[in-house]
Amino acid sequence: MQEFETVIGLEVHVELLTRTKLFCGCSTAFGAAPNTQVCPVCLGLPGGMLPLLNKTAAEYTIKAALALNCTVTPNLTFDRKNYFYADLPKGFQISQFFYPMGTNGYLEIHHNGESKKIGIRQLHLEEDTGKLSHFGDIISSPYSRVDFNRAGVPLMEIVSEPDIRSAEEARLYLQKLRTILCYLGISDCKMEEGSMRCDANISLRPVGSSELGKKTELKNMNSFRSVFRGIEYEVERQRTILLSGDSIIPETRHWDEAKGITRAMRSKFVSADYRCFPDPNIPPFPVDTKWVESIQASIPELPDAKYYRFIEEYGLPPYDAEVLTGTKELADFYEEVLTCYREPKTVSNWIMSELMGHLNAAGIGITEAKIKAKDLGKLLQLVGKGEISGKMAKSVFEEMFATGEDPELIIKKQGLAQISDEDTLDGIINTVLAANPQSVQDYHSGKKKALGFLVGQIMKETKGQANPQLVNKMLEEKLKSS
Amino acid sequence: MSGDKLTAAELAASIKEGALQLTEHGENVSRLCTKAQSEFNIFINFNPNDITKESERLAGKVGSGAELPLAGVPFCLADNICTLELKTTCGSRMLASYRPLTEDGAVRRLKEKGALLAAKGNMDEFGIGAGGRNSFFGAIKNPCNPEHTGGSGAAAAVASGAVSFSLATDRCGELRQAAAYCGVLGLKPTYGRISRQGLIDSAPSMEQAGIIARQTKDLASALSIVCGADPQDPTSSSCGVPDFNALIEEKPRSVKIALPYLWDDLAALEGEVKDAIAALLCRLEGNYFSLETVPLEYFHHASTTAAMISAVEAFSNLSNYDGVRFGFRGESKHLHDMYRQTRTEGFSSNLKKFLTFGALISSGKYYHDCFLKAQKMRSLIKDELEKCLLQYDLLVVPTVPFKAPLLGSGISPLLPDFAAYYTAAASLAGLPALTFPLKDPAQKGGLPVAGLQLIGKAWDEKTLLQVSLLLEEELL
Repeated sequence: MQEFETVIGLEVHVELLTRTKLFCGCSTAFGAAPNTQVCPVCLGLPGGMLPLLNKTAAEYTIKAALALNCTVTPNLTFDRKNYFYADLPKGFQISQFFYPMGTNGYLEIHHNGESKKIGIRQLHLEEDTGKLSHFGDIISSPYSRVDFNRAGVPLMEIVSEPDIRSAEEARLYLQKLRTILCYLGISDCKMEEGSMRCDANISLRPVGSSELGKKTELKNMNSFRSVFRGIEYEVERQRTILLSGDSIIPETRHWDEAKGITRAMRSKFVSADYRCFPDPNIPPFPVDTKWVESIQASIPELPDAKYYRFIEEYGLPPYDAEVLTGTKELADFYEEVLTCYREPKTVSNWIMSELMGHLNAAGIGITEAKIKAKDLGKLLQLVGKGEISGKMAKSVFEEMFATGEDPELIIKKQGLAQISDEDTLDGIINTVLAANPQSVQDYHSGKKKALGFLVGQIMKETKGQANPQLVNKMLEEKLKSS
Repeated sequence: MSGDKLTAAELAASIKEGALQLTEHGENVSRLCTKAQSEFNIFINFNPNDITKESERLAGKVGSGAELPLAGVPFCLADNICTLELKTTCGSRMLASYRPLTEDGAVRRLKEKGALLAAKGNMDEFGIGAGGRNSFFGAIKNPCNPEHTGGSGAAAAVASGAVSFSLATDRCGELRQAAAYCGVLGLKPTYGRISRQGLIDSAPSMEQAGIIARQTKDLASALSIVCGADPQDPTSSSCGVPDFNALIEEKPRSVKIALPYLWDDLAALEGEVKDAIAALLCRLEGNYFSLETVPLEYFHHASTTAAMISAVEAFSNLSNYDGVRFGFRGESKHLHDMYRQTRTEGFSSNLKKFLTFGALISSGKYYHDCFLKAQKMRSLIKDELEKCLLQYDLLVVPTVPFKAPLLGSGISPLLPDFAAYYTAAASLAGLPALTFPLKDPAQKGGLPVAGLQLIGKAWDEKTLLQVSLLLEEELL
């Protein structure tokens, strides 16, 4: 059977976290009553004010271009993309068609311990459109409503090269992109709220071929999971068609999350002619070196740099490094714990199992958690010094997670401190041995299981606070000598 | 009214001194405007009560002792410049009842200085040059001869004596052409001199507000007020604005004038216009002026180039007229049919041809061969003019190749647009240009013969005004 190679390029749109729109002073806040965050500029009213560029949006886009290793344009220019639609107030979208903010960049994904660079063809700034709402579907709806609150919100589009080879790589690319943009603090990248949107261009070609096959464009994937599922489905659909000897129809397809299939939307053959030309209302704006340098200086350590540093500096396995650098906040938390307790792998284990388990169960992020990094460090110190057992530490951790309290306070309150005092333990061991002569006899007749029973009894007597290593040692000594 | 002969400054002075009562003056303006409107159809949505109300409001301001250099000076505003109190229609059915939410910055400045907004001027639909013959509100008649076009209501209102000056926009030369048709002065300042905020423009890269007046001093008075940087308009310039009132009192010394070689080699150029210009040029020589012929290669492609660029910009700029949010809406059940109905019924057929032309030459098929070439030609024209003006103070040409056309004669908003043959270059290059009226004293009550167009260096409106005043006072 013929073997195919999957070729995927992603077009990602993210809304920028600016307070105001791209060319006017209207608020960008999400969730306001329809058409309350509008003005003559973003409504495209005749005689409305002229577009005035939001410098913060430009700065954010330059920041992203730098973080994604792009070449930054020396002149900031905007063009008009002309088409008619009810959600587009001016009849044109202001975008960067001729000179995108950034070109020729890349980002790195890590998969099964291997790294791969995915090229970024371009990155540009443009206006978002309004939102249409229909009753049921668009065809049967008796009329439609339009909300222009979103019209003119700054939107950044990032177009990858067709370097992605699988649904899994697409997911990793998207996640890495989100991680980087979140590190930069320029977008919240929430796919479910639409602040991050992804379209995928998908084609297949015979293995070994360097030509691109006929592609379809896949839309309407509203989560990372649906990007993965949608692409998997579409790749299989294309493979089946190609194997049957038919050819792919280049078209836009819609991912149906409920049915788990893709459906044709409109044919690419009637693709619109956008008649792009430079917007005469927006003079070119020079991007001088000083400005770029100051933006570069404001970029924090990015996920990849952190990832390699964590491996190098802390000797972590790549998997741990990948998980811990997943968000800047988590990485910061990790390093803060390390300042109190310098056992990188132990801290990593605690964060990846206990902390992340609890966060996932509670459905919150690290920033919303009550537990403080310093306190986790303190808890691990206590474990390290043998003052409490690992098992006890887990229950203390639970309390810390729930209340945000100091671990020492919790230990004191619950009377959890480990009993490591040999005199105290000696008394308890004697009591337990006296109360269980049968077990002592069993031990001496070679039944090693009896030792476990006796330890259990001692632990029960001390409500689990006895230092288990010490108990084991003392008990064995006592039994051997008796 | 006595205001007809007085300069704006003199009129304002007599009002401030109390020699002329504002209410009485307002009634006078109202009467003149009403008469002009009934004879020449120069206003849109004209209501004499608006003038009465406005003069009453001004009377209070004058009484308060505010500094009002234009107190009571009546002006007309082309109907594509927004005001909060009046409708702004752009001469189109599309906006027949549109009331803007913003006010033009220049208008606000004029009102602050006491100017009296008399009415909104009739105009070609969206200012797209058809010589005053393509307004939804009817053709504009020329006060010098109502059989002929007045070009624009703004120019005709000044020519009729109803107002002292007008504020209008100039795209490919419409303001200058209309002023020439009506025998009055018209000045298109340097691109960026006057804020474009509050204009409903169709060609943003060229369109610029300017002034029409009967007297050079009035041009200077109005210009001093409306010019200046506007932080709301990124295309406006922060270039300093001189006091043109004081500057024009200085006589220019030895002005070096360039005349394009073969300027009169144009079939559309009427003999009468050509003779009048040639005669004036002869008289200029030696009197303050030195005149030289210069070869200009690209100047002659300006009107074609401007038509192409302005058509593409208009096609895009007028895309917001879709019936969704404001203005005229053609009824239909489906979105795309609604667009089609709205734009079919809301725009005139001339405008639709022009917009279609713009859509065509910016489409993938023609982009490189038409639009991109026009953009390159624009750079060549601009460079050529700027180079020429490094050696000369002014470039002179006729304003329009012909006298005001007869009403009812054919309109061609498409190519070739000979009306813009001489005016388009300054629009493309963003340079200031002034039209000076040439009247034939022997021809009583007849049409003005021609306009002499002076094109100046960027930001040098001063020289244009000084030469205009000199021609007005000494040479003619």
